[in-house]
Amino acid sequence: MAKVLIVDDASFIRVSLKMMLERNGFEVVGEAENGTVAVRKYLELKPDLVTMDITMPEVDGVTALKSIIQQDPAAKVVMISAMGQESTVKEAVIAGAVGFIVKPFKEEQVIKGLSKFR
Amino acid sequence: MTGGNNNSPVLGLFVFETNQLLEQLERIILDGEKAGGLAAAINEVFRVMHTIKGSAAMMLLDNIAELAHALEDVFYYLREEQPGEVDYSSLADMVLSAADFIRNEIAKLENGDNPNGDPAEMIGSIRCFLQALKGCGSDQPCAAAPSVHAVQYYIGAKKPEKAGVNTYEACIFFDEDCGMENVRAFMLVHELKEFAEDIRYLPPDVLDNDDNAEAIRREGFRLYFSSRNTLEEIREFLDRTMFLKSFEIQPAGAGQPPAAKKRTIDLEGPVPEASAPTAAQGTDGTQAVGKQNFISVNVGKMDLLMDLVGELVIAEAMVSQNPELRGLPLDGFYKAARQLRKITDELQDVVMSIRMVPLAATFHKTSRIVRDMNKKLNKQAELEIVGGETEVDKNIIEHLSDPLMHLIRNAVDHGIESPGEREQAGKPPAGKLRLEAKNAGGEVWIMVQDDGRGLDREKILAKAVERGLTQGIDNSLTDKEVYSFILHPGFSTKETVTEFSGRGVGMDVVAQNIEKIGGSIHIDSSLGCQTTITIRIPLTLAIIDGMNIRVGRNIYTIPINSIRESFRISGHRTFRDTGGAEMIMLRGECYPILRLYERYRIQVAAEDLPDGIMVMIEADDKKICLFADALLGQQQVVVKALPKYLKKTQGIAGCTLLGDGSVSLILDVSGLVGGMGSGCCS
Repeated sequence: MAKVLIVDDASFIRVSLKMMLERNGFEVVGEAENGTVAVRKYLELKPDLVTMDITMPEVDGVTALKSIIQQDPAAKVVMISAMGQESTVKEAVIAGAVGFIVKPFKEEQVIKGLSKFR
Repeated sequence: MTGGNNNSPVLGLFVFETNQLLEQLERIILDGEKAGGLAAAINEVFRVMHTIKGSAAMMLLDNIAELAHALEDVFYYLREEQPGEVDYSSLADMVLSAADFIRNEIAKLENGDNPNGDPAEMIGSIRCFLQALKGCGSDQPCAAAPSVHAVQYYIGAKKPEKAGVNTYEACIFFDEDCGMENVRAFMLVHELKEFAEDIRYLPPDVLDNDDNAEAIRREGFRLYFSSRNTLEEIREFLDRTMFLKSFEIQPAGAGQPPAAKKRTIDLEGPVPEASAPTAAQGTDGTQAVGKQNFISVNVGKMDLLMDLVGELVIAEAMVSQNPELRGLPLDGFYKAARQLRKITDELQDVVMSIRMVPLAATFHKTSRIVRDMNKKLNKQAELEIVGGETEVDKNIIEHLSDPLMHLIRNAVDHGIESPGEREQAGKPPAGKLRLEAKNAGGEVWIMVQDDGRGLDREKILAKAVERGLTQGIDNSLTDKEVYSFILHPGFSTKETVTEFSGRGVGMDVVAQNIEKIGGSIHIDSSLGCQTTITIRIPLTLAIIDGMNIRVGRNIYTIPINSIRESFRISGHRTFRDTGGAEMIMLRGECYPILRLYERYRIQVAAEDLPDGIMVMIEADDKKICLFADALLGQQQVVVKALPKYLKKTQGIAGCTLLGDGSVSLILDVSGLVGGMGSGCCS
């Protein structure tokens, strides 16, 4: 079962994502509400997959992504982006994100996208 | 990408696309000529020829492919070498006759005939032209030309094919709703860079332009690249990509006929970096990309759909306005009925809009006519096209094309004078011909205007008397009425061509065709200055917005767009003019009154004007007031032709079924208004 770390500053999003993932055979091993926590938990939990929100207080998603990739080049980080963040997403792609999901998302869409990395 | 002549869906697409390309080509050439030289159009013509060549070769139509190839060579040379002196006029002739040839071959293909035309002569003259160009443009010996003969694909690659490197082309679709398709494409390219090179893609500015997401959603993302990886490996890579719905990938050039194996990557002229995506478009056809979201539907099915929607509109009215519901407390029902009505309205709008086609294509055909006639007749008519984007029902367009061509031909042939004659008359030597379309209410007006000789009222009148169309020289006839005599069959004789600047040739046929589609022709002219012929056609024939009015126990429907106002008569003054016709004075203007009950001899309760209602209608800039008992309300009605056994009655355009199943007669407004003018109220 793929282990997932959910990073988002909105707990509502974290909860919905968690429910979606657990219903569909993913194991959510941890949650983080900002970039700093995300990097720490990544190193601690070694998840197979990270869903990373872009806009977060303190350390944003792209910075956290860069930091994770630096320490584990094989990390699989999927960005969660809102519409209109095209250029940030491009930056994340160049930094090594393996994919991205656009908010607002639907369950089937998330599962379909993430199952490529199971 | 399958070859072969008998693959019908592919064939249909080929025919459709190539015809579009030819139209585009013609337009490019004609625009170029207008702008004084083809220099600006070289690139585009090259691209069109390149695409036609590629598709024709794929369809194994060697004659077309070779012809297109010969022209492509010429334009390639023009583009790369930019020779100083080029005879653009004869080049344009060559391109246009080649376009005609290709069109002809495609028509054969469409009709199931064998497209066996031989373009050898044309190709010969094109080659001669190219050699002459090379002769004067540079010192290259003419003998170099034949070496170009093998089918060449100017891909514009910077490098030759290397051993072990495969080139691929792929078309990729992302999942619906996955969002940011352009960034996904960007990501794909980014990842592809790890093991592929020479990556080119469509749309070309996908990485920078965020507006492209929509285009990728609709048409897919096209990629061309070379890589040492095998097809399988690349498939695997694509399979791993997030939200990738489907993709097609094949080695570039697969499915080409054997001839294409001689395909060479062009080395002689490195294509500038900037145009690389354009060249990529050419190799596979921008057109194909642009057309993917169109389906061609049998017009018969469209007609059927339209009929069904018409029936639905009637059925909806029959249900929601059913007389048995009258007086019942049915709030919920009426709410639901309103919803149904809204949906049928929308459905109808959508079906109508599907049938609407812009006039541009038809209009552009005329530029070719004008050009050819200019050359043949030594005239300098300049065609100006305005409002080509105006849309008209497809059925109507089909009937419009011939009359329009006829009017244009007439205008150049007989309207516009020769440059010498024009100068004598103090006009600029180049005649102006203006083709304009615009929406006017529920109608589309198409105007053909020339600044030529104009029509001669006296001569037409004399001719009309001679032909027995009118009794004696009647000076009370308006100019418009006089000019409309030229629409009579009697005027289409040869002598009129010379006598009356020839506006009679076949005009009766034009008029008939236009009447067939429910339109009308209006002629305006001033001698020596200009002639304007306006074709007015309804936007659509099938369904109109109508106002139902009651006269006695009968119901009539008036097309809503011809109603100007309706009012109860109270303090207004009515009087009779010298001819005894009843008139009403309204805001300082006089309008004739038409009492419908008189006209249709109906027993009626309201004979006094204050008891009924006045409806002012307008047609041809004339207004009259109809007097009816009451307005019943607005409704969309489906126009049905009157049964054949009824003689054509003046003032009635057709009939329609109302919600309660009764029949309403649709008033022909221009007939009624026109009838008032000549005083017929018997």
